[in-house]
Amino acid sequence: MLRFVLRRCALVLPSLLGLLVVTFLLIHAVPSDPAVAMAGDAATPEQIAHLRQQYGLDRPMWEQFGLYLGKVASFDFGESAFSHRPVALDIVQRLPATLELTFASLLLSVLIGVPLGVVAALKHNSWPDYALRIFSVLGVAVAAFWFAIMLQFLFSMTLGWLPLRGDLSATMSRPPVVTGFLLLDSLIAGRWDAFGDAVRHLFLPAVTLALGGLATIVRFTRSGVLDTLQHDFVLYERAVGYSRSRLVWIYVLRNSLTATVTQIGLLFGGLIAGGVVVEAIFDWPGIGSYTVQAILTGDRQVMLAVTLLVGAVYAMVNILVDVVHGLLDPRLMGRA
Amino acid sequence: MTKAVRQGGPLLGRRKMGGLAAGALVAGAFPAATSTFAQAADASTFVSGFALPMNLDPHQVYDVPMQSMMLNAYDNLYRYEGDPPEIVPWLAESHTVSDDGLSWEFKLRPNLKFHDDSPLTADDVVYSFRRMLALALAPAGAFLKILKPENVTAPEPLLVRFKLETSYAPFLAAIPSICIVNPRAIKPNEKNGDWGKTWLASNGAGSGAYRIVPEGYRPLEYLDMEINEGHFKGWSDNAKPVKKIAYRPTKETSTRILALLNGTLDCTDPNLPADQVEQINASKIAFVQKDIVMRTFVVRMNNTKPPFDNLNARLCFAHAFNYMGFINDILGGYATRDPYPMPENLWGVPKDAKGYDYDLKKAKEYMAKAMAEGAPMKRPLEIHVQSENEQSVQGAQLFQSELAQIGINLKVVGNIWSNLTTAAAKPETTPDMWVHWVSTYFVDPENWVGQMYDSQFHGTWKASSYYKNPEVDVLLRKARGLVKQEERAPLYEQAIRKIMADSPDIWIYNSMQLQGFNKRVKGRRFCTVGQGAELRWITLAG
Amino acid sequence: MRPIFARLARDVPAMLGLGIVVFVLLLAVLGPWIAPYPGDASASHLLRRLKPPSLDYPFGTDNLGRDIFSRVILGARGALQIALAVVVASMLIGVPLGLLAGYRSGWLSETIMRITDVVLAIPQLVLALALAQLLSPSLESAMLALSLTYWPFFTRIVYAETRRLSGSLFVDALRGVGAGTSRIVFLHILPNALSPVIVRATIGLGFTILVAAVLGFLGMGATPPAPDWGLAIAESRTYLPKAWWYAAFPGVAILITVMGFNLLGDGLRDLVDPRIRRSR
Repeated sequence: MLRFVLRRCALVLPSLLGLLVVTFLLIHAVPSDPAVAMAGDAATPEQIAHLRQQYGLDRPMWEQFGLYLGKVASFDFGESAFSHRPVALDIVQRLPATLELTFASLLLSVLIGVPLGVVAALKHNSWPDYALRIFSVLGVAVAAFWFAIMLQFLFSMTLGWLPLRGDLSATMSRPPVVTGFLLLDSLIAGRWDAFGDAVRHLFLPAVTLALGGLATIVRFTRSGVLDTLQHDFVLYERAVGYSRSRLVWIYVLRNSLTATVTQIGLLFGGLIAGGVVVEAIFDWPGIGSYTVQAILTGDRQVMLAVTLLVGAVYAMVNILVDVVHGLLDPRLMGRA
Repeated sequence: MTKAVRQGGPLLGRRKMGGLAAGALVAGAFPAATSTFAQAADASTFVSGFALPMNLDPHQVYDVPMQSMMLNAYDNLYRYEGDPPEIVPWLAESHTVSDDGLSWEFKLRPNLKFHDDSPLTADDVVYSFRRMLALALAPAGAFLKILKPENVTAPEPLLVRFKLETSYAPFLAAIPSICIVNPRAIKPNEKNGDWGKTWLASNGAGSGAYRIVPEGYRPLEYLDMEINEGHFKGWSDNAKPVKKIAYRPTKETSTRILALLNGTLDCTDPNLPADQVEQINASKIAFVQKDIVMRTFVVRMNNTKPPFDNLNARLCFAHAFNYMGFINDILGGYATRDPYPMPENLWGVPKDAKGYDYDLKKAKEYMAKAMAEGAPMKRPLEIHVQSENEQSVQGAQLFQSELAQIGINLKVVGNIWSNLTTAAAKPETTPDMWVHWVSTYFVDPENWVGQMYDSQFHGTWKASSYYKNPEVDVLLRKARGLVKQEERAPLYEQAIRKIMADSPDIWIYNSMQLQGFNKRVKGRRFCTVGQGAELRWITLAG
Repeated sequence: MRPIFARLARDVPAMLGLGIVVFVLLLAVLGPWIAPYPGDASASHLLRRLKPPSLDYPFGTDNLGRDIFSRVILGARGALQIALAVVVASMLIGVPLGLLAGYRSGWLSETIMRITDVVLAIPQLVLALALAQLLSPSLESAMLALSLTYWPFFTRIVYAETRRLSGSLFVDALRGVGAGTSRIVFLHILPNALSPVIVRATIGLGFTILVAAVLGFLGMGATPPAPDWGLAIAESRTYLPKAWWYAAFPGVAILITVMGFNLLGDGLRDLVDPRIRRSR
């Protein structure tokens, strides 16, 4: 088992390196000059030249790459061209907010998606099934940024039920930082007011982000359950006299979820990337809005680090999915 | 901090653990994150919607958001106050300048103190100016050519002396852009001679009326400040100042306005779209404050590229912009038509000079003349806008639809500030036309005509029309070397007349600033430098 | 071929998708003749800004007084153009690489597939955004950025199909009768690998329209005054909640178009690959 995991991890390193090379090349192949951006509005040409030299931007690209690689190997992702803060620090500070949002939307899509998928399979080819199929097509086809704006318009601007933006009301004091996760920190500090406020803030972005995943999970659960229902053991157990609901919710579901588990794993990586725009719209203080800021200002160090981070998360999730599969079906391990 | 950064790495490898480990690291990096604020919307906390600067170091960043932060957290030798702006002694009591304009001496007030209670003396001023010059970032622009670090000295504990390389009239005007920082707070946090750059980007080391609370800071997300009771100006002119300032910038205009209307923001940013004025004024809780500022809106033309190298062509464009339509219909009348290459409310403007009006018939005549002279008026032209800035897009779109009527094909190209300033470094890469504002970096004609139309500034975004007129160069340089305003004003007036005759750019308006306030906000004082962001006079009613 | 169409015709959702796709195609081609105010692609009318939906302006007017109904119709062309260009470009890069890597073995095949994996691991949206921005935002940069990140999907599919087919009996038989490599690859393997490619391309069209809309929304795709749907939604945010119509209709246009491609793609997939029959 351990050897299997280690081998999969070892395979990841070269692809992360490849990822780094490709993104570095692409980002540096474009003409925009970061020194100009760094120098700011009132800069003179001398100031810009000075910066270019200071940050090694006047050196050949392979040399810059070597420098960068050396730094990355020691987990130094450079500093932001604008905030002059270490990118790694910014990421560490912001990652919990993104993870909180990602987990919340994953939870929503699983808790709602799996039961709906089972229902669709059981009511196969009747109107609930059709309705859910249309829903799952809609869920994938809707532009998340538009959906987010519509939710804001309806629930915040018009009805005033939920907050419009951010992760906490401006007037609410922040609980002391222990884990970095706002919800956890509120609980640790015993701050129920902050906890409630944070949950209310989390709701709309999580729903927006959950939509695409929800549709996918409904779909895969449905086809998984349909598949399992046709297996012999179901017929047998039905014959033995298990009640239908017990049969479906316990035996069939357990056997149908492999595909869904894979999808959940893949969704996780997708959610982190998909969160970029959603975070930007809700001013969510995570990696996504950080990325959008970096892109809008042309902050290369941040763009590189974020691309690498999301790539790494993808890779890790893939390993995790493989491991889960391996646990479910040990024959796979020998093959990997 | 270094520790947190280095350990940040393995996180990527242990994603499942990641969240918790990350949290622990943050906690390690910022131990005392005690609950910073009690419930606000109380009478002691002012929740500000001003944008935050890219970081908190006033020697690294110098723009409008930075001014709104530093005017509260830091002090300067001199400062602009009032409307119209007047330069007044601040940390300094007075200054003297030699007749040749090369030697400047500033006498400091006695008993000044930084936030850590250590005394603020001439040595700290010297440190601050040397740090600013060494970093050579944004605010240093005005000083690098005229001031060497070793020529800032402290002959006495309360006396600072500057020896300039060349006489530079706007020197005093630029003094308020430099904040005095506390070397005793910064030096322990220096790394490899970086002048504490990384540290000060997220911390405060000033003496201002408010003190930065480092635990209450997250770049571009939020910033908390608390009152400095011992500020040198004292609080006698404000019986009930706000104890805390909470910056809660909001990226989206509509979000910002809703926050103002539901009482969670005490003020919006100062660049409210005109469309929103009516809605805010109709509310019970908020109102819109209007102030004339010095911030001009310009359409640049690249004078090196045909057809813009042709005077008649440029005159054609100058007559094709629907100035009043733009100001009245899109900006709701909240701007002043400004036909000069400078704010019309600044000295040095030739008030009798006539600008250009919107007149498509004239534009057509000039177009015909230009074409007769071989100018390629029919070539597809590009105007670059700052995509994130709605108004620059609208202006360009309006221009585009007017030009289409006389058969000129203009394409609007979305772009961003950093790309545009990069492009403006060379005439070949500078767009045909582009749109920007010129804000008040310092209150002096040098900030506008001086740096926009003296050919020695070619290569900077401010001079991106690549205009060159030897007579204008002579006038502007002469005005820059003189110290007395009475002597400089006629030179600028003369230069501006010549520039206007050449019509190198399209000057559109001088801004009126629109800012939404909660009705409980009292005592605000306005100054165009910093766009009214200095908060020490504010009181919250109720 | 006939039975395939007959089967597709019985699949109601797929036919609905086909209908939508044809409708959007018609709008794209005939837009300027259908739209009530075709001039509003670029003209502005300051006196009728932000008017709510009415008989004259069924979807209302925008911040420059332009008819939103016309602009939604006119936007179809741009959306389809960018989607087609990206998908075709990605196919032109991805399919040959997949064939090459699949038919040959050895280091070349290995290299191609490793690069494919690396590019697949890059978060597509993030990289496309970064590239589009750095290349100075325009439709062309957006298309280039999307193509550069989308081709590996085709390489993967074609690779898998080629691998499967080149081991199959009929290819062995062809080799046995002395058929040349290019003949085998282009006349026998490619046509057989084509159906999954078409399915992927159909779904890819919908997907690209979505991503392009995100780029437009963030100001990194189409530029004003282009009647781009994503861009319109971005511009509309300033005018919420007052002018809800400005934000709502372009989004509905995106939704319907993407849904059309997805329904059609799903239907085609069911035909091509009965193993994952959706409607079972």
